[in-house]
Amino acid sequence: MSILPQLIINSIIAGSIYSLVALGFNLIYGTTKFFNLAHGVLAAVGGYTVFYLSKMWGLPIIPSVIVGVLFAGFVGYLVDRTVFRSLRKKKASGMVFLVASLGVMTALQAVIAIIFSSQFQTLSTGTFKVYRMLGGVITQVQVIILALSIFIMFALAILLKYTRFGKAVRAISDDEEVSKIVGINTNKIIGRVFFIGSAIAGLSGILVGFDTGIEPGMGLSLLLKGVIASIIGGIGNVYGGVLGAFLLGFIENFGIWKISGEWKDAIAFGVLLTFLLFRPQGIIKK
Amino acid sequence: MEYFIHLGILVSIYAILGLSLNLIVGYTGLLSITQAAFYGIGAYATAILITSYGVNFFVSMLIGMVIAALTALLIGYVLSKFDGDYFALGSFGFNIIIFSILLNWQGLTRGPLGIPGIDRPEIFGVTVSSNLSFLILSVLTVIIIYGLSQMIVNSSFGRVLKAIREDEKAIQIFGYKTHHHKLVIFMISAVIASVAGSLFASYISYIDPSSFNLNESIFILSIIILGGLANNKGVIWGAVFLILLPEALRFVGFPTDVAAQMRQVVYGLILVFLMLYRPQGLMGEYKL
Repeated sequence: MSILPQLIINSIIAGSIYSLVALGFNLIYGTTKFFNLAHGVLAAVGGYTVFYLSKMWGLPIIPSVIVGVLFAGFVGYLVDRTVFRSLRKKKASGMVFLVASLGVMTALQAVIAIIFSSQFQTLSTGTFKVYRMLGGVITQVQVIILALSIFIMFALAILLKYTRFGKAVRAISDDEEVSKIVGINTNKIIGRVFFIGSAIAGLSGILVGFDTGIEPGMGLSLLLKGVIASIIGGIGNVYGGVLGAFLLGFIENFGIWKISGEWKDAIAFGVLLTFLLFRPQGIIKK
Repeated sequence: MEYFIHLGILVSIYAILGLSLNLIVGYTGLLSITQAAFYGIGAYATAILITSYGVNFFVSMLIGMVIAALTALLIGYVLSKFDGDYFALGSFGFNIIIFSILLNWQGLTRGPLGIPGIDRPEIFGVTVSSNLSFLILSVLTVIIIYGLSQMIVNSSFGRVLKAIREDEKAIQIFGYKTHHHKLVIFMISAVIASVAGSLFASYISYIDPSSFNLNESIFILSIIILGGLANNKGVIWGAVFLILLPEALRFVGFPTDVAAQMRQVVYGLILVFLMLYRPQGLMGEYKL
């Protein structure tokens, strides 16, 4: 039996997860112009909320997932409201934002570890259905991952293109000062952007939790993949991020065809370095 | 008394790490989040050379410095073309890669099992076995490195670094190849961090990859941001304060696992509050 179909399926699934992280990351980067390192930890917030509700309280899966996504969004909004908004008011430099987000990431991750311990947990209860497809295997969870990420991609594209909110977001990414002058309430819009971006990150954490499992540090590796996807796709460009995510998924999974799986992170970073050296603006230039 | 000597040694090791990072972040204005990677390279070089080949500590330290310099040359070649966010991000990713190499290259590093039984240094046939003599060795190293970094930052080379920090374009117009300067200071900083790693490995006598992950880099960054960017005295105070602070938490009586996480919460909050209210740190001469 050929291993090729399975590799392709794995690449697509990895690409979907990365594209969710990259979508949220790019959305926030586009409006605020700083690398929000706290973005990844919200994936862990989402995953652990579902863990808490479904495993400890025995809530059914669908409502706990919805609460988990909303809660991750809310935490993201709160971080913006308490930390980043005051930094924006002071016109702090990008590095100050970056260090502050690093602090938020460190603190939140440790709080999760204190509450739930650092142990690896899985969200899935019992076994899921497994489908055979073209000589490869795909689980029900993975089908849901694929479907949800495609749905969110289109939903976000429509939101940005056709609504008043989307127009405001695009205006702020072009020029925050001018948007303020023409009467856009930038703080309100950026707050909402943080909510949406963080909720998407939360969803990706939950999906990873069902597919493999959750641990407090999971956000870091997801964040790194999302950021790499955004950079190789074209930073600040929503569609570029998706393209980069799938490219990264394929390179990673085909890379470990011959060498062992622990080197995925190293391969991903190698891809990033190659792009930084030869095409730092990414595939799609904004 | 032993306890205070232990804290003194830790403060010295982190002071060295802080001094090394300050050359890049404070004086050159490049946000590097990868110091733990070079720290780990030094520690593992010493650990492997001493336990498997019986090499003298100071020889192993020298070899570690060479390896750190070569690695820094490689990664710095890419990073020195960037500044700001991209530099931070690239260095951030590099730390994760070095950590995953330490964890997964089991043939060399024994992976998560770590390397036990690392001997203390030996000078002219005398082993630095007591903690007090090790403290003296560490403090001497701090003094040497402090003097060295003061010399670097006050030299003409150091003035170019500060100029890069203030306005890279302007100094380029004067004909300076700024990415050479960035690369050189990145390598010097890596070499100093590897010295701290060698000292750490030989003092603790057991190392595993978890001491060299991203959290460690963030901790070193907190030291210099708290103490003050571009102020070497401030860095020493930052190291003293941040090493002693969690010791106070220890007396509050948390279980060890929770105490370790509490430290991370405290470091994270310190970074956030400094950024909000005093981005140059307590004694800093440069604002991020």
